[in-house]
Amino acid sequence: MNHIVSVSNVSKNYNLGQVVVPALRGVSLDVAEGEFLAIAGPSGSGKTTLLNLVGCVDTPSAGTVTVDGKQTGQLSERDLTRLRLHTIGFIFQSFNLVSVLSVLQNVELPLLLQRALSARERRERVLALLDRVGIREYSKHRPSELSGGQRQRVAIARALVTRPKLVLADEPTANLDSVTGTNILNLMKELNQSEKTTFIFSTHDARVWAYASAVVRLADGQVQDRVSAEEAVRAGGLPTGRPV
Amino acid sequence: MRGYLDTLKVIALIALRNLFASRLKTLIVGGIILFGSLLVVVGTALVDSVDASMSRSVIGSVAGHIQVYSSKSKDELTVMGGMNMESPDLTPIDDFAALRRTLLGVPNVKAVVPMGLSSAIVTAGNTVDVVLERLRDLARRRLAGEDVQAAYESEKDHVRQIIKVLSADMDNVRKIQNEKAISQDDLAAAAKAASEELWAGFDRDPYPALEFLENRIAPLASDADMLFLRYLGTDGDAFAKSFDRMKIVDGTAIPRGQRGFLFSKWVYEQQVKLKTALRLDRINDGISKRSKTIARSEELQRWIKQNVTEVKEIMLQLDGQKTASFRRLLQGELGSQQSDVAKLLSEFFRVDDANFAHRYRFFYDKLAPQLELYRVRVGDMLTIKSFTRSGYVQSVKLRVYGTFVFEGLEDSHIAGELNLMDMVSFRELYGSLTPERAREVQEIKTMAGMKEVSREQAEAELFGKPDLGETAPIGRAGDEAEAVLRSLAGRQQREDRASQPYDPAQLEQGDVLNAAVIVKDPRRISRTIKDIEAAGAKAGIPLRAITWQKASGLVGQFVTMIRAVLYISVLIIFAVALVIINNALVMATLERMPEIGTLRAIGAQRRFLLGMLLVEALAVGVLFGSLGALLGAGIVGVIGAAGIPASNDILYFLFSGPRLHPSLSPANVIISLAIVLAVSAISSIYPGLLAMRVSPRQAMQSDD
Ligand SMILES: Nc1ncnc2c1ncn2[C@@H]1O[C@H](COP(=O)(O)OP(=O)(O)OP(=O)(O)O)[C@@H](O)[C@H]1O
Ligand SMILES: [Mg+2]
Repeated sequence: MNHIVSVSNVSKNYNLGQVVVPALRGVSLDVAEGEFLAIAGPSGSGKTTLLNLVGCVDTPSAGTVTVDGKQTGQLSERDLTRLRLHTIGFIFQSFNLVSVLSVLQNVELPLLLQRALSARERRERVLALLDRVGIREYSKHRPSELSGGQRQRVAIARALVTRPKLVLADEPTANLDSVTGTNILNLMKELNQSEKTTFIFSTHDARVWAYASAVVRLADGQVQDRVSAEEAVRAGGLPTGRPV
Repeated sequence: MRGYLDTLKVIALIALRNLFASRLKTLIVGGIILFGSLLVVVGTALVDSVDASMSRSVIGSVAGHIQVYSSKSKDELTVMGGMNMESPDLTPIDDFAALRRTLLGVPNVKAVVPMGLSSAIVTAGNTVDVVLERLRDLARRRLAGEDVQAAYESEKDHVRQIIKVLSADMDNVRKIQNEKAISQDDLAAAAKAASEELWAGFDRDPYPALEFLENRIAPLASDADMLFLRYLGTDGDAFAKSFDRMKIVDGTAIPRGQRGFLFSKWVYEQQVKLKTALRLDRINDGISKRSKTIARSEELQRWIKQNVTEVKEIMLQLDGQKTASFRRLLQGELGSQQSDVAKLLSEFFRVDDANFAHRYRFFYDKLAPQLELYRVRVGDMLTIKSFTRSGYVQSVKLRVYGTFVFEGLEDSHIAGELNLMDMVSFRELYGSLTPERAREVQEIKTMAGMKEVSREQAEAELFGKPDLGETAPIGRAGDEAEAVLRSLAGRQQREDRASQPYDPAQLEQGDVLNAAVIVKDPRRISRTIKDIEAAGAKAGIPLRAITWQKASGLVGQFVTMIRAVLYISVLIIFAVALVIINNALVMATLERMPEIGTLRAIGAQRRFLLGMLLVEALAVGVLFGSLGALLGAGIVGVIGAAGIPASNDILYFLFSGPRLHPSLSPANVIISLAIVLAVSAISSIYPGLLAMRVSPRQAMQSDD
């Protein structure tokens, strides 16, 4: 099987003045194409740190991260940015839409940065996607005029508009109520099924695991285990045994 | 390419939306930029206009484009606007013909005008002296049997009138100041002059009385003002041709080949005109040209007060007939029964805003025709005394041919302080050895059978010592000759000769102190200056050539000064603008860290963010800069249509006329926009660097 992401023996330390905070300690993880992978773990366990490394917004202190065949530690800032633009889509916990742009413009933004499509092609693709995530009628609205769930749909559309191989989502449902959260997860799962896009998302919401093809459990910056969704759900809680 | 444009569009969109989102900040920054660019447009347009008009004034009046003088000179040449009245000490250039030839050989030179600057104090007769001389003449003719009885009686009456005026004046002074202000001798003299004994025997034997009056009474009048005249010796024809703003007002130009003097109209008005009339003119100007009112202007009130108290000047001019005529006219005008003309005049000159215009007209229509308005009239002979280079007093008697102005600069004393004189007379006053004088010296030497006359001998014979004791004699042929001339020929002879014509060729042959150069292409002045100095060196005439700016001294530097002030204030404003724009952008950047992080995370390169901030800064700059420039252009347009009035004579000169009509040139707007763009670009550098350093991880860390 082809690995779109390959994390091998990675450590990440943060320097807080004199103190060195080890956020990840010898993490190894392979993600196959088309997976819908959940990363679970308590607060401070290193989920965001791991996603940052995979998402090429940070590089490891030790070990290697390979994304789409490229080892990120060896890429320049420019190349990392390019990799993010063309290969990766981001969905943020707090949506991170550009407040001064309309829904349509927000979604179009990555395409503009890519400079690959004509205006008409861009428009078609954006509108089709907005249709797909169910907010086409809001295309002219500003993000501030939308509800949290609608905003997250815009964020999903923006992450998917470049048809990336890999979509990363850091706690995509944390700021949503449970019904909306479920809808969003359904949408993500649907896109994962139809487009064969690989999804990696972090969460500490146990209900979310059911959607995942597999759950990687983190604790104290280390991979505890990698289990199937059923197993994780059956375990009924986090690796430390604390239910959420 | 298309994609590039679209990216630019989205950058612009984000930038503009951001600007709009923080409107208040944008407005503050924009306001400063607007003001800055407005200042640049209006300021540079004004300074450019003043520069252009002033250069017209300077170039068109005396300086020409370039002034040339000997590089051996002690002083630097300034032809106008010098603070002190001393003329600069220049070494003469001996052969003007050679100088002209050399200068005309330089490519860009169109015309050369010979010049020399000097000054003299001139006594323009005391009214009493003039009247007494007339009376003496009439008395002589009457005794010789001519029929001049009526004129004689009238003149005698005039003298008695004068004595009365002077006595009354002395009484006044004693009353106002104190008993001792007038000496007992003067009082006694006045009493004697008024006494019947003096006049009883006058018809029989007028001479002792006349002598007494001339010696004791005339000096009491003390209105024998000294005229301080700065004059320019030149070739009248060449001058008029090269400085075509020069226009004759009264009389004629100095005819070719004639010696003569032209008063600058300004000097003629200010120094030669009856003071009372001059003050009336000034009051009139103040009201009509500068919209002042007597009620509110202390200056006008002061002039009125002077006119009211100083009627003596007019009284001295009135003989019996005129006194009667004035009494009748003034009584009628004022509706008064007063018989004392001095009091009537005082009353007449006590004007207010309501009656000024009428009285002003009355003065010129009715009173002035009976007065000598100018102490020196066109056609009179003027004796000019001046120190020569070697320190002797030299004097020349010249006919006053007329008065002149520089068109558009009529009211400017800077352009009007120079009078004109023919070059030949100038050389004489200056003490040059003209060919004519060289010949004369030779004749005298032959006549006297002398080979050599030493300076000491000559001086001992006539003066005992030079007029300026400390001036060291220079061992020049001219000085020797001058000494000879003084000792043997005497002054009278040369004064007589001064009214005789000269050979125009003489103009060319003699020396000059400096010369004005008119060029064909004024844009190449600095190049031409170098060429002139090089040509001079080659021809063996060591020359210094200076621009009109330099030649016009402080006046020429005035615009440079204003420009400096303008540029410094523009610099300060834009420095402030730079700091404020920078701060605003830095704050905006810090506020938008998550957004910038997000953009970076989804694949925006650093230069995208740099572009975003640049566009943001430039958009504010262009928008408000253009608004400012537009507003500035509007202001310049309005000012240009209305004109800025020249409220004093320095402005008058700078404006080259009564009003400055500034106009806008594309350069003014371009400079303003260029500065605005540069400042905007520079001010976005630091926030740009900050934005570039924002990590895409910022996007992930916005947990709220
Ligand atoms: N920029 C940073 N500087 C210093 N320490 C950091 C930084 N980011 C994360 N850490 C530390 O690294 C460890 C892992 O943090 P991380 O954000 O990856 O945890 P997390 O699993 O995402 O937690 P949460 O569920 O609260 O989001 C924590 O101890 C955290 O304090
Ligand atoms: Mg986290």
